[in-house]
Amino acid sequence: MISSQTFHVVSTELVVGAFSVSGLSFLFCLLLHLDVLKKADWKPMFDNVAHFTLAFGLAATPFAVLSGLSSSPGEGLNSPILVNKMFLSMAGMGFAIGVFISRWRLSQSVWATSKTATVHCTTGLAACGSMLLTASAGGTFLRGESLLDVLSLPYDAVLLFPTVISGIGLAIGIGLLVLGWLRMNAISSVH
Amino acid sequence: MNFNHRVYTVLFLSLLLIGSTYGAAEPGGNGDATRDMQCGGACHGDAALNETSLATLTLSSPSTVYAGIPTTLTLTATNLSLSSTGIVGFFLLTDTTGHSDTPKDAGWDVLSESNGGASNYVEQTLPSSQTETSVSWVVRSSSEGMTSFYAAIHHGGSSKPFFAVTSTGYEVEAKEIPENLPRLAADFIPQSTRILDVPTELGLQTEFTESVQVEWKVEGGAIMSAQVNSSGDNMWSATIPAALQPTSLQWRAILQGDGPEQTTPWFTLTAEEAGWEIEEFAVYLQAFSLLFLIAGAVLALQSRLAPLPVSSKYDQTDLLPQRLDEESIVESVPQESSEESEIAPLPAGGLPNGWNEDQWKWYGHDYLAGKYGGGQE
Repeated sequence: MISSQTFHVVSTELVVGAFSVSGLSFLFCLLLHLDVLKKADWKPMFDNVAHFTLAFGLAATPFAVLSGLSSSPGEGLNSPILVNKMFLSMAGMGFAIGVFISRWRLSQSVWATSKTATVHCTTGLAACGSMLLTASAGGTFLRGESLLDVLSLPYDAVLLFPTVISGIGLAIGIGLLVLGWLRMNAISSVH
Repeated sequence: MNFNHRVYTVLFLSLLLIGSTYGAAEPGGNGDATRDMQCGGACHGDAALNETSLATLTLSSPSTVYAGIPTTLTLTATNLSLSSTGIVGFFLLTDTTGHSDTPKDAGWDVLSESNGGASNYVEQTLPSSQTETSVSWVVRSSSEGMTSFYAAIHHGGSSKPFFAVTSTGYEVEAKEIPENLPRLAADFIPQSTRILDVPTELGLQTEFTESVQVEWKVEGGAIMSAQVNSSGDNMWSATIPAALQPTSLQWRAILQGDGPEQTTPWFTLTAEEAGWEIEEFAVYLQAFSLLFLIAGAVLALQSRLAPLPVSSKYDQTDLLPQRLDEESIVESVPQESSEESEIAPLPAGGLPNGWNEDQWKWYGHDYLAGKYGGGQE
């Protein structure tokens, strides 16, 4: 039986590795669909890689979050870095879920115009960026240093909204999710 | 891939491989923890890259050690030559196999160490000019018998990591406790941390003890006495003044009873700022709010931007056969001409105002007949 610390390291490496490949592939997708890179036959390849690795990283993320909570020293969220890690990983999951569902329900329509392709790829890159920031915060928490320390990110500050605001945000988020889902279903059924 | 690209690729990969020897170590240290000797090699990357440290390591302990009673093991390191960061790590081990070699594995608990924790591996940051230092561990054996202790060191250097371990074991024999010897309780765990600005009530559990004195000192300061009160049978409480800044002090107890007077080792007590607290429900709610808000916003945006397919009565590609062989083309021609003939021809100006294609399909003939104010133009 491995410890929660080891399990957290394993799951974190899976998440970071998967999201890194996904982010790189989304970058290529963006360049291809904006015709910066003129290699039309690369489009399906990077499309597949980006979304497969995104789905894999998304599947591993809950394990990384839960094992991270159980393996952190002390009890509960006793450091601002841990809170920021939680926010960043959930934001990354939000971006990834949005991208994944969009690609699933809209199929090739996400690549139909440069606007939809840009939004799709930017969102995928945001998911990747959030996860890499989460990993960087983990490095700062454990070792006191990280590669992204050059950016002087304020990990020690926590932006915590009142519970009411968060509750309203959650309700709006669920509403948007349902509306978006229904609209996408309508579009995909027309297709 | 042409020849030049292959050469560049090989050169790039070679550069990465060469660079790995400089980037493998952890110059920022690993932090105090319970670690086996394998970490002394592996924490510096590939153990094969380590060079042997020239430091001289010497372990020492009191002449008499009893099982179940805390005692101090002191490691003195001399002839140090450290990296520019000055970070050096020391291990207290019970064998040199590289695994399962911590004092705990040999039945010894680490109760305290000079950094204020209870780890067998401790790090120090020393000035570059300092060539000598010492580390102490307060340990307690759970059983009688002989144990070999080893010390190991790892640190950086000018370009490579250094590692060394004592070649011979330092033998410590844990003897049977004499009858009625005043002592700390066998399961006593010393408090290692306290909060700033608050006086500390140190709780002590003892055995065969009639009175207790507690002494404390800060580094470089005089030894002070703390007020001790009895809080029950063999239960004592000592009051240590509040610390005004994060620092550590050492304290010990002098135990008196029927047996010979006993003095405990110096235990380290570190003052820290009060722990950081936050309302966890608000954090989790905001985290899930972020998740749903972002995912919902992405879906709403994409569903709005994604182009809807244009449906038109003139788009009848779904009626086309899957395979355009001659037979199906021949079959489809009468169908198209039949349907076209059912729809009234559009006026020269296109659809009348307010009409759509579907209305025209069904009522176009009536419009041309003048039923809706129109007529043949």
